[in-house]
Amino acid sequence: MLRLEEVEVAYGRVAALRGISLEVREGELVSLIGANGAGKSTTLKTVSGLLKPAAGRVTWDGQPIAGLSPREILRRGIAHCPEGRRVFPHLSVRENLMMGALLRRDAAGIAQDLDAMYARFPRLQERAGQAAGTLSGGEQQMLAIARALMSRPRLVMFDEPSLGLAPALVQQVFEIVQEVRRQGLMVLMVEQNALAALGLCDRAYLLETGRVVRAGSGPALMASADVREAYLGGRAFAA
Amino acid sequence: MDQALQHLVNGTVLGGTYALLGIGLTLIFGVMRVVNFTHGELYAFGAYMVYALVSLLGINFYLSLLLAALLGAALGAAIELLLLRPLRRADIDSVMLVMIGAALVLQNAEMWGWGGVAKLVPSPFAGTPLVVGPISVMPLRIFVLLVACALLLGFWLLLDRTRAGTAMRATFQDAEAAALMGVRVGWVNTATFAIGSGLAAAAGALLGPVFMVSPTMGDLVGLKAFAIVILGGLGNLPGAAIGGFALGYIEEFGGGYVSTEYRDAFGFLLIILVLAIRPQGLVAPRERVG
Ligand SMILES: Nc1ncnc2c1ncn2[C@@H]1O[C@H](COP(=O)(O)OP(=O)(O)O)[C@@H](O)[C@H]1O
Ligand SMILES: [Mg+2]
Repeated sequence: MLRLEEVEVAYGRVAALRGISLEVREGELVSLIGANGAGKSTTLKTVSGLLKPAAGRVTWDGQPIAGLSPREILRRGIAHCPEGRRVFPHLSVRENLMMGALLRRDAAGIAQDLDAMYARFPRLQERAGQAAGTLSGGEQQMLAIARALMSRPRLVMFDEPSLGLAPALVQQVFEIVQEVRRQGLMVLMVEQNALAALGLCDRAYLLETGRVVRAGSGPALMASADVREAYLGGRAFAA
Repeated sequence: MDQALQHLVNGTVLGGTYALLGIGLTLIFGVMRVVNFTHGELYAFGAYMVYALVSLLGINFYLSLLLAALLGAALGAAIELLLLRPLRRADIDSVMLVMIGAALVLQNAEMWGWGGVAKLVPSPFAGTPLVVGPISVMPLRIFVLLVACALLLGFWLLLDRTRAGTAMRATFQDAEAAALMGVRVGWVNTATFAIGSGLAAAAGALLGPVFMVSPTMGDLVGLKAFAIVILGGLGNLPGAAIGGFALGYIEEFGGGYVSTEYRDAFGFLLIILVLAIRPQGLVAPRERVG
């Protein structure tokens, strides 16, 4: 189980997280929603070790992990699929997937997972030898997700996986996220598309300027008046 | 025609070591975004190490070459750990100033340690040239070319075929994403600087016995290394190899047909032309290995 307690993070002097507490329990899909700049990506970066919290606690299975390197955190089973896909543009699709398995030493298991990814994403197999930068946006997103899964994580964090994709592809991405959860992985997903995120998740947190302002089940948040107004009727939904 | 063939052979020999030099420099720039002003001094360091190992300590010539390259890599690693790592978040001006300072220190240390007189490095190769038809080549030069090509090939295999090489290229392209894959970006930086420096030292170690070894040899070569990198496009590895051979041929043909005295100037003339006409370098950016 992942737990954040009163986590504060600052970029230089500018506070980005002002005391965030949240949890992802075994088998859960948790959504993190909120406007641009609310601190969603910062939260994920803090969990994966890219940022160090100034205060508060981050624990994973009860062990403190704040301050550990991204490598150590990945080794403990938390993968981070970053915002904007961030595939390695000049590496081949296959090399990108192998980068996901960099810390693993079980060659047979890696080969098996590679086959599984290719079976799930035939486009990636077709383009296995091609530079990832030549893929379409949708294909790159699939690659970024597959790459994160290649580490065999127990928790995978997706940062705006549907960003900039055509509606049909957005649907596909959400299906994949659900599949991942059905396989027993914990999922922490950041989404601008609040309606979809709330429909999909077990629980959700609404962030505003570095604070959790509302938490609860998907339907509960969907029903709450301020969420409806700010995210479901307004700009986020229109986007 | 015969003369042209001779220049071609000489240019190839020179180009091989220039390619080593350029690849080392462009690799460091590509991965770390550091303009490495110590590169020429590492070249000189390699040459002096071969001199010291062979002439002063009496160690086997081939073993000395290997040791000189490894010592160059170790010196590079030390520079990265002591000077660059603490400056990871500093602005580019500070980093440049520190690197220029380091180059000055290294150069003066060479002057102080070895004196101003040029040294000769004895090699086990015959002093009589091999003659094949109209061409004559010193056996040592053939050896230098073969070793340079072997190093280029080895470096390419390391980068293209190994896990560590893939991690290095990934870091080259997106350091933060690489960190999320579990790459120790700090160590990749150290390794990159060590490998780049080792290649420069290897180039110096190889050419030391061909020419003479002197404390100022690093200056001109440092400039040439930048010329090679600009020819190939900054951060472009195949470009640096091509730029290295291009510079070798330009110097050799320019020196042979136009003027020996201005031999070194031809390379810089070419740079000015390239910067004016094709500032991205001779090789298209999309062909970058990184
Ligand atoms: N690298 C950075 N340097 C300085 N400020 C940043 C940086 N990244 C994000 N911020 C600031 O931190 C806050 C939270 O950003 P972020 O976590 O990216 O928001 P979200 O992902 O919810 O859109 C914003 O005010 C943003 O401007
Ligand atoms: Mg974000």
